[in-house]
Amino acid sequence: MQSDYLLLTVFLAIAIVFPLIPLAMAWAWARLFSPAKPGHDKQSSYECGIESTGPAQIQFQSHYYLYALVFLVFDVETVFLMPFAAAFLKLPFSAFLALMVFLLLLVEGLVWAWAKGILAWK
Amino acid sequence: MLIALLPETTLVVTALVVLGFGVSVPKSRTLITAATLLGGFAAAAALVLLPADGNFLRGMVALDPLARIFKLVILGLGMVAAVFASDSFPETHFAESLALILFGTVGMMLLAGTEDLLMIFIALELTSIPLYILAAFAKESRSSAEAGLKYFLIGSVSAAFLLYGLSLIYGVAGSTNLQAISRLPGIPDPLLVAGIVLTLAGFAFKVAVVPFQLWAPDVYEGAPTAAAALIASGSKVAGIFILAKLLTAGLGHWAGSAGWGQFLPGWAPVLALMAAASVLLGNIAALVQANVKRLLAYSAIAHGGYLLIGLASAGPESLSAVLFYVVVYALTTAGAFGVVAIVEKQRGGSRLDDFDGLAKSSPVLAICLLVFFISLAGIPPLAGFFGKFYLFTAALRTPSLLWLVILAVAMNAVSLYYYLIVLKHAFVLPAPEGIRPANASASGFLVGALALAVLALGLAPDLLLSPLVKQNQCRGEWEIRSMPRSDSGASGFPKLTATASSRAAEH
Repeated sequence: MQSDYLLLTVFLAIAIVFPLIPLAMAWAWARLFSPAKPGHDKQSSYECGIESTGPAQIQFQSHYYLYALVFLVFDVETVFLMPFAAAFLKLPFSAFLALMVFLLLLVEGLVWAWAKGILAWK
Repeated sequence: MLIALLPETTLVVTALVVLGFGVSVPKSRTLITAATLLGGFAAAAALVLLPADGNFLRGMVALDPLARIFKLVILGLGMVAAVFASDSFPETHFAESLALILFGTVGMMLLAGTEDLLMIFIALELTSIPLYILAAFAKESRSSAEAGLKYFLIGSVSAAFLLYGLSLIYGVAGSTNLQAISRLPGIPDPLLVAGIVLTLAGFAFKVAVVPFQLWAPDVYEGAPTAAAALIASGSKVAGIFILAKLLTAGLGHWAGSAGWGQFLPGWAPVLALMAAASVLLGNIAALVQANVKRLLAYSAIAHGGYLLIGLASAGPESLSAVLFYVVVYALTTAGAFGVVAIVEKQRGGSRLDDFDGLAKSSPVLAICLLVFFISLAGIPPLAGFFGKFYLFTAALRTPSLLWLVILAVAMNAVSLYYYLIVLKHAFVLPAPEGIRPANASASGFLVGALALAVLALGLAPDLLLSPLVKQNQCRGEWEIRSMPRSDSGASGFPKLTATASSRAAEH
């Protein structure tokens, strides 16, 4: 019991020290060898290599959010369909029925959203 | 298993059909309401006709006569909210609001019929999420959006508390089944203490008691009135019922004692403290409210306190008193919200001034209001009086809770003042010019029926109380029958004593 916790403590110590070492080395390297030459390009934040256009914090349509919700229908469906498909041959008929009911519930959600015109981009 | 869930299944199917109506014939509100009520009646019939005993999936779905009574009550309250909906929900997306009421009702019914921690949590979420949406349903109104957001934020934080508490209890007990938890040795475990406190915090939000009451006034005021009625009645009944079940059937060993000078650590003293604070804050804050819905919210906090007194005394008799009281309270408060909904529709607001001269413009409605508020204040011969009387005497039977009962009775006298203020506006003050009398509507008839029910339960409390106690005796026998197979998961809800009904009969 005690030695278990000792091992954990050792791991914890290593986990803290391990990332600190390269950081400290990088800091020491920069301090000792590299001259400080700040410039516009160096100061800018790195995103993906393409120059960023405009600020990131803009308003965007709440419609995206509805799309994400509707997407969830397919998402959840897949999560449950995959294990069902993998074990399909071993399952009784009632399981098939249960999954069909489940799909019906999800599909009703999609049909409802469709009929309400949520899928049309405004 | 599927048969046992037939009432809930019926409601879900009804909700899907109603959603379909919302897409195909969104304008015909009568048809949509009728479909909802039809589904409700079918579910009620299924509840009444099907056998009421059974235990499935290791207690995930547990049916017994007591749970059946509460499922019926919750279903009724859901239907009441559905009828009020036509007065208080906006015209657009009407079918969706009814479908959400149905989904919420399903959650509450599942909550009443389970003895498993996981199922308790899932059912509670199934109850809460539709209620969050319903609270925010009046999209044009800022206060409704505020109500929805506050309810959602505080609700999700408290759900996290509850989940954490339940997981700690599971961690100690090694099982999510209430029966298995009740078989734990009664040695106090710090982990279990933390679990119980966190769980209580989660439930205290659900029944809106101090210090988890902050959402209640804003939500009751801002939400559409039918949604507020469901939050105040159905959700409270389900919450109190499952809290009572969890505490007595699952955690009965750790009750402790909240008696004056006989303090023992456990959940009872925690409940007693919350009860005292709620009774004080609810009743005093209600004195200065200018909006009747807000006033009802503070009165709900106070009544939550009274209910916790019953739970804190942790006696078998006080349990039946709590269950009786919560049903009576739910019927009364649903009726009161019904009156508010009608007045709001007629005069465009629910401030105290909007009730001026109600007795002149619509006398029957005013009399219903009188019945509800007098019952909430606890004046005989109405049901509220009997509920309080029974609750307080039951609390006095168990060790020295006198201090709490004295506090509650004193504060109850305070509550009479603000209930009478509303009645003064309705009966004494003159009506403003140009108010037409309310048309007879389905909500109006329902409010009348609820008033009659409150009166009937006051004159003959045995109507509700004796089934409660009788069902418990039946269940007791059932428990003995299933004794040899102790793992069969027979409900561990302690039997309510028969003395409860005999004492009830004396009055």
